Amino acid sequence: MNSAHERRLIHRFDFNAMGCPCALQLEADAEVAARAAAAAQAEVDRLDRKYSHYRDDSLVAQIGASADAGESIVVDTETADLLDFSATLHAQSGGRFDITSGALTRLWDLKNGRIPDAAAIERARARCGWDRVEWKRPHLRLGVKGMRLDLGGVVKEYAADRAAQVCRDVGIVHGIVDLGGDLTVVGAHPDGSPWLAGIKSPRDTSRAFAQIELHAGGLATSGDYERAVIVDGRRYSHIVDPASGIPVESFSSVSVVADSCLVAGAASTLGMLLGLRAGHDWLLGLGLPFLCIDADGNASGTLAGARDEGRGTRDE
Amino acid sequence: MRINFGAAGRLILVTAALLGGCATTPVQPWERGRLARWDMRWDPDPLQAAMREHAHFSKEGSTGEIGAAGGGCGCN
Amino acid sequence: MRRHLSPSLAALMSAATTLVPEAHAQTATGADTESLVSYRFNEYDEDAFAPRPVIGSAERYGVISQQFQLATPVGTDAALSASATHEVMSGSSPWYVVQGPNHQPIQVMSGATIRDHRSAVSASWTQGTGSSGGTTYSASYSAERDYHATAVGIERSIPLSAALTLGVGGSFSHDLIDPVDAQLYDRVQHGQKNTASLFGSLAWIIDRSSVLQTGIQINSEHGFLSDPYKLVTVGDGTIHDLRPGQRDQMAWLVRYRHAFSRPDASLHLDFRYAQDSWGVTSQTLEAAWYQPLPARWQLVPALRYYSQHEARFYAPFFSDPAAHNFFTSDYRLGTFGAFSASLNLRKRLGQWEFSGGFERYHGATDYALGGSDAAVPAVVSYTRAFIGLDYLLK
Repeated sequence: MNSAHERRLIHRFDFNAMGCPCALQLEADAEVAARAAAAAQAEVDRLDRKYSHYRDDSLVAQIGASADAGESIVVDTETADLLDFSATLHAQSGGRFDITSGALTRLWDLKNGRIPDAAAIERARARCGWDRVEWKRPHLRLGVKGMRLDLGGVVKEYAADRAAQVCRDVGIVHGIVDLGGDLTVVGAHPDGSPWLAGIKSPRDTSRAFAQIELHAGGLATSGDYERAVIVDGRRYSHIVDPASGIPVESFSSVSVVADSCLVAGAASTLGMLLGLRAGHDWLLGLGLPFLCIDADGNASGTLAGARDEGRGTRDE
Repeated sequence: MRINFGAAGRLILVTAALLGGCATTPVQPWERGRLARWDMRWDPDPLQAAMREHAHFSKEGSTGEIGAAGGGCGCN
Repeated sequence: MRRHLSPSLAALMSAATTLVPEAHAQTATGADTESLVSYRFNEYDEDAFAPRPVIGSAERYGVISQQFQLATPVGTDAALSASATHEVMSGSSPWYVVQGPNHQPIQVMSGATIRDHRSAVSASWTQGTGSSGGTTYSASYSAERDYHATAVGIERSIPLSAALTLGVGGSFSHDLIDPVDAQLYDRVQHGQKNTASLFGSLAWIIDRSSVLQTGIQINSEHGFLSDPYKLVTVGDGTIHDLRPGQRDQMAWLVRYRHAFSRPDASLHLDFRYAQDSWGVTSQTLEAAWYQPLPARWQLVPALRYYSQHEARFYAPFFSDPAAHNFFTSDYRLGTFGAFSASLNLRKRLGQWEFSGGFERYHGATDYALGGSDAAVPAVVSYTRAFIGLDYLLK
C-alpha cells in the first residue's frame, strides 16, 4: 500500500536542549537534512548557553553579577531586542509579565509541600521588579542586588523560530521544529498539506487533547500541569503575580497559534498570567487562534473545536 | 504668480520650527499599539473621504487635500 | 488588513519584527496582509432654493454615485488598488444673476433639467510598503458627456527618523471640455485645461498617542478655466462667464490625531488654509470623534467649518465692464461660509463591515469669516447620505 504519507522521506532528529526533548522533522535529501539539523541544533545550543541560569559563563550570569555590583552592562543586539520584546510584554500584561521575577517563581516552585510565609514572599519581591530596571538600549542596569533576569519565557520560542530560519537558510523548504512542545513550521509538506500538531492533555500527558493543522507559523503552549502543586486542597501554579507575590489562579494550559513561535509564546504566556477570566478575554480580543484548558479539563477558545477531531485552523 | 506668501509663509515657518525644535523622547516599539489602531490613520475610510472631498471641491472654490492625484470632473 | 489587528497584537508583532523579521515581514512594513473589497452607495441632494427670488426651477442638483474598490497586497512589499465610480447627476444649476427692481440679486436657474452621468476609474501601485519608505504611482480617467480628464501622479514617503516621515509628490492632469449645445447657446465648442501640482508634507509621531502632519500643496491650472454653462450680467446684457487662463493655488494643511484609551476613542483635527492668484482665500476647520461602542459598532460624529473670500472678479452682476477684465457670478467663487455636521456608523461582523452615515451642509454668505456685505445668491446647502459594505478577503 503506497499511501502518500509512506512515500514521504521525513528525516527526524531528536536531541535535548533547554531542559526538554526536542525534535526536527525535515523533508529533504538526507545530506541537506543532516546539515540543517546540525546547524539548527547548534543555534539552539548557542541560545541555551547564552541565556541559561545554570551556567556561570552565560550572559544571564554576567548580568546577575553586574546587578550585585550595582553596575551597568552593555548588551548585544539580540539581547537588546529580547529585552525590548520583554518590555512590550510587561506593558501589555499590566506588569504581570516580568523577566526580573525569577526569585518569586523559584520561591513558589514548591517541593516540600509547604507554601512560603509572608516574610519569604517579601524578601523575594524585594529582588524583583522590571520598573526598577534602567533599560536604555544598549545599557542595562538592574537596580537591585540579587536581582536576576529570567528570559526563559521568551528564549525557547525564539529559539524555535531561529532554528526554523537556520533550516531555511540551509535550503530546507519542508519541515517543522519542535522544542519541547513549542513549534515553528519551516514549511508545509511538498503537496501543501499541513503538519499536525498535538496539544497535550493536561490530565494525561501521554494523550493528545487536540490536533492542530499548521501550514506556517508557530504554535506555543504555556502549561503548568507539570509544575502545579496541590497543598491543603488548593492548587498553586508557578505563575506568580509580581504585584501580590502569590500565584494566580489560572488555566492548566494555554496554546496559541501565530506567525511566529515567539509571538505565539508571548500570547500564551500572557494568557496564563492574566488568569482565568481576564486571560481568556484578552486572548479573545487578541484575535489569534487559541485553546485554554482549565484545571478540570474544560476547553475553551477558538481552537476548542479541534479537539480529538483532527480539524484545525491556521492556514496561509 | 500673484500668490502672496506673506501670511502663509510665516505660518509654515512656525510649524517647521515647532517640529524641528521639539526634543521628545522617542516612542518605543512596545508603545506603538495605539498608533497602529485603525482610527489613528490619517484617513480611516478613504472612499468616504474621497466622496466628501469631491462634494466640497465641487461646491467650494478651493483646492483639494494634500496629495490628491485624482482626475478632474466637470463639476467645478 | 492592519486595521483589523487588535492593538495588543499589533504591539506584539511590531516588537517581534526585529527578532523574527521573516515571520513578521508584512507587519514590520506596515503593509496590509489581506485584500479588501469595498462598495459605497452615495446620494447627494441640494436644498431647493429658500424663499428667495428665483427665475427658473427652484430645485437644484442631485447626484447618485456608486464606488467600487479593490485593494490588495502584492507579494510582501507592494500593494495594488483599483477603483471605479459611477455617478448620475440631475437637476438644474445656477445660470446667471440679474439685478432686481431693488438692486437685489436674483438668481436665474438653468431651464433644462439635465441628466448626465460620469464614470471614472483609477488605479495605484505602491512599491515598498514599509518602514523604509515607499513610492505610489497612480493614474485615473474620468468621462462624462462634456468632460474628459486623464491624470497621473506619483508620491514618495521617506522616513527621516523614527518619529518623522517626509512625503513628496506631484500629479498632472489633462482635461478636455466639450460643452453640450455649444452652438445653440453660443458656447465655446472645445476647451482644454492642464493642471500640475506638487506637494510636500511632514508627519511627526509626537508620543505614543498622538501624531501630527503638516504639508503644503501648490497647484497650477492653465487653459480654459471659465464655466461654459454660466453667464454674467454686465451692464444691460449678459456675457459668457470669463475667467483668466491661469490659476495658481497654494494650500497649507495641518492634521492632528490623538488616541485615547478607556474607551479606545480618538480625536481628529484638521485645518487648511488656501490662497490663489484669483484672490480666493479660504480656511477650513474639521473635527471628528471616533467612538467605539459595544459589539464592534463605531460611531463617528464630525463637524466642519469653511470660510471663503471671493475672487477678485466675482460679483453677482457688473455695472461697469470697463473696470474689469474677467467676470464671474458663480457663487462658488463668492464670499461665503458653511457649517456641516455629519454622523457615520460602522459595524464589524466577521469578514464584513457595514457602514452608513449622512452629512448636512449649510452654506450662507453671513457665515464667512469677517462677515460679508456683498450678497451671494445661490450659496448651496445640501444633504449627503451613504451606505457602504466592506469585505475582507483572507
